[in-house]
Amino acid sequence: MLWVDKYRPKTLDKVLVHQDIAENLKKLVTEQDCPHLLFYGPSGSGKKTLIMAVLRQMFGASADKVKVENKNWKIDAGTRTIDVELTTLSSTHHVEMNPSNAGFQDRYVVQEIIKEMAKNRPIDTKGKKGFKVLVLNEVDKLSREAQHSLRRTMEKYSASCRLILCCNSSSKVTEAVRSRCLNMRINAPTEEEIVKVLEFIGKKEGLQLPPGFASRIAQQSNRSLRRAILSFETCRVQQYPFTNNQAIPPMDWEEYVSEIASSILKEQSPKRLFEVRGKLYELLVNCIPPDIILKRLLYELLKKLDSELKHEISHWAAYYEHRLRLGQKAIFHLEAFVAKFMSIYKGFLIETFG
Amino acid sequence: MGKVKRSSAIVISSSDDEDDKDFVLKTNFSYSKSVPTRRNRKRANRAQLSDSRSRVFHDSNDNGFDVIKRFCEDFDQGFPQFKVSSGFGRNMGLWVDKYKPRSLEELAVQKKKVDEVKTWFEERLRTSGKNSYSNVLLISGQAGVGKSATVYAVASNLGAQVHEWNTPTPTIWQEHLHNSNSGIRYMSKMDEFESFVERIRKYGLSSMTRTSPSSIILLIDDLPVVNGKFAYGRLHRCLHLLLRSVHLPTAILINDYGNSDSAEYKTRYWEELQLSLVNAGACKVNFNPITINSIKRTLSKICRHEQFEVGDEQIDLIAKASGGDIRSAITSLQYYCLKPLPMNSQSFSKSSVAHLEEEMGKNNILDGGICLPFGRDATLSLFHALGKFLHNKRESGVLSEPDRNAILLKDKFVRLPLKMDAPEIVLCQAHGQTRAIADFLHENVLDFVNEDAIDDAWFVSSYLSDADFLLGTLGGKLTRNFEAENIIQSAAASIAVRGVLFGNAHAVTSRWHAIRKPKLWQVEQSLRHNKCQMVSQWNAIHSSMNLCEFSVIATEFNPALNWLGYEATKDSESLQVSTAVNNGKDDYFDNDNCDDEIEDW
Repeated sequence: MLWVDKYRPKTLDKVLVHQDIAENLKKLVTEQDCPHLLFYGPSGSGKKTLIMAVLRQMFGASADKVKVENKNWKIDAGTRTIDVELTTLSSTHHVEMNPSNAGFQDRYVVQEIIKEMAKNRPIDTKGKKGFKVLVLNEVDKLSREAQHSLRRTMEKYSASCRLILCCNSSSKVTEAVRSRCLNMRINAPTEEEIVKVLEFIGKKEGLQLPPGFASRIAQQSNRSLRRAILSFETCRVQQYPFTNNQAIPPMDWEEYVSEIASSILKEQSPKRLFEVRGKLYELLVNCIPPDIILKRLLYELLKKLDSELKHEISHWAAYYEHRLRLGQKAIFHLEAFVAKFMSIYKGFLIETFG
Repeated sequence: MGKVKRSSAIVISSSDDEDDKDFVLKTNFSYSKSVPTRRNRKRANRAQLSDSRSRVFHDSNDNGFDVIKRFCEDFDQGFPQFKVSSGFGRNMGLWVDKYKPRSLEELAVQKKKVDEVKTWFEERLRTSGKNSYSNVLLISGQAGVGKSATVYAVASNLGAQVHEWNTPTPTIWQEHLHNSNSGIRYMSKMDEFESFVERIRKYGLSSMTRTSPSSIILLIDDLPVVNGKFAYGRLHRCLHLLLRSVHLPTAILINDYGNSDSAEYKTRYWEELQLSLVNAGACKVNFNPITINSIKRTLSKICRHEQFEVGDEQIDLIAKASGGDIRSAITSLQYYCLKPLPMNSQSFSKSSVAHLEEEMGKNNILDGGICLPFGRDATLSLFHALGKFLHNKRESGVLSEPDRNAILLKDKFVRLPLKMDAPEIVLCQAHGQTRAIADFLHENVLDFVNEDAIDDAWFVSSYLSDADFLLGTLGGKLTRNFEAENIIQSAAASIAVRGVLFGNAHAVTSRWHAIRKPKLWQVEQSLRHNKCQMVSQWNAIHSSMNLCEFSVIATEFNPALNWLGYEATKDSESLQVSTAVNNGKDDYFDNDNCDDEIEDW
């Protein structure tokens, strides 16, 4: 078992970061009624951990007994039936899923599953009608239509079903949904907090941590706790006992991106652009999301760039990131960004060095 | 000057329209007014018209519907007369039938090909089924190159009788309902063809004809339409069966649809089918499009016969516009000769008609046949069109002095005029899908950008990004507005193409290039595959944990897992699987690799 899973706090009492939020959540849940919740925050900040802890707080240990199902939904959409296959994770009290995996049929999935849940409401021990919880991940990736239908179903079935939504950026969730939920912003943990967690794990594993080692991992982790723990574990496998100047293994795709960046900086020509396209394809095939590629590429380029150009380049990166979201094929926009960068950079080089 | 005249002609016709409308709308009260104008138009039918008019007049207080109906009847009555009068009784029916080649000499097809076909048939008829080799001749060629005419002419030359497989008439829906109600099972055309082949195999033609079997040629002109792998397989089996067992000399005609549709899998099927039949022993003759000269010869012969004065230029134009299709050329000629005549019956003065004709003739020549009312639209293959866009041929030399009306552009926006039709016209001719065109352009355009011109590369890719953005607005919507989609599609195509043409300001000097199939398609396919695999694998390993976004898996867990060597066996296994799948895909792509070598035009 990975350390990330092994040392995931199971209850709200045991969390090491966001203790204040955990405290509040506990109070909220122990009272009878719980509103819909929307957790948002950067990746690796502990949203899912908190959600699972909340579920456990609500339903006790039975929330941990989950089974994975590949469910086929047959949905009657007026003129035709749509078949959607989706993996769900469910216990007796909750269902968790990534509706955005259903592509543009997400709308139907959301509606249908809530309807079905509402139909068989569980009855708790006191004979009172309880409610089920539906955990939806990646709500920000849902289509606009799906979010609209989510809003309607949220109102209609609010008596029998609570939603816990989870996403990275609340700006991509419609106002209507946001206003119906209690918004919980989960910040990325600070480096000190990460160090604290790493030291905690180190103690549990019985490892000797040289001073400053944990903070070096924390610095490299981009304030993502998950990444920090993962790279901590890889360091452990790579070399133990730790030495103080031990290199922390970077992610392979990030290395690849920095390779791309340096090859862009070396030569600016259509031929090079074509080579870069091939490399971008390589990344895309390996399921690296295009927006993450773009972000990382910008980061790598900015590192080696004259400060004069930084503003303009960032502007274009933002422009093409927007395009990339609206467009259909990511490579068109990624490539346009690379071409723009090459064009600006070449102009700059000619101007300064003649 | 000429413009005025043409527009006057248009005015006349439009006033006609109005009269018709008048006639329909105001029938009940303005009858006497509108009929005389009609009478004007068809002076020849005057007696009949007045007859109908009086009829209508009697019960003119009927509702308008009856009147309209009667108007239609009237029109119907007028129509056959119009037809008869057009040829002055000399030509009944179509010239295509009338001037069907009766003998080998009349054929416009290449002599060599005709001889080939003829010797083949002679041989087969002489030995008449006793030989061991196969009795099937495949004749391929585009529509209207005289495939069946050749077979018929050869047959009559050899004194053989042609027995043709007649495609059954298509079943209409009502008929089908009726049949199925009365318990008759529906036979698809494929079924019927199969049973035909079966009959031929077992009993020969003796069951159908009474003539001696030595002089019969079987002609299969109209293979049933197949769609999809299964039906294709049936046809394939059926034809092979026929090939193996038929005892009569058989000609199978196959229409080539030209290269324009080469992207479609259907033509590939046909090619495969032909190839496999040839491999199984069939003889294949390929008919080329008929040369313009021999079309011209045929056309002028017909003109002489019909005693029509048609100028050489006209014949030339018709021949060129037909694109090697002699049937359409003859029909066009007939249409062309027909045209002035209905006008005669109108109340034009003779001279104005003549003028009009002259005018049209001139226009035709000026516009290079585009405004010809006949002829086939020239189609371009997708690759041809892409080649045009990518090579970006422009007029050389200095810009001519700009028009006063033209918008003044900054120097950096000025481009030399294109050496081709407007990009939109080319797009239309290539009838390409916007998405495919954008992908192809994206894949190939960088080969055509000058090595130093990175700015151009950016221009091009930014326009392609715009086009993709437009196309992106289409996807994922369940409620579709097709009209708007069409507009967006064509706008996107236009932006992509014009962007490429405009952006690539310093196109490389032309040289040989192979147009590649977009790698993007392959990438997308394997991306989908990898994604599914990754998610399912993740769920299998960490079943009891939690669901995870695939992006997180890809960017954080998988690299870490690789480092850890975690579940190494499983991972390597899956890797092998994925590479195997990828290899399979590569093979697939090699198979239908449609790399077309293009040179510059």
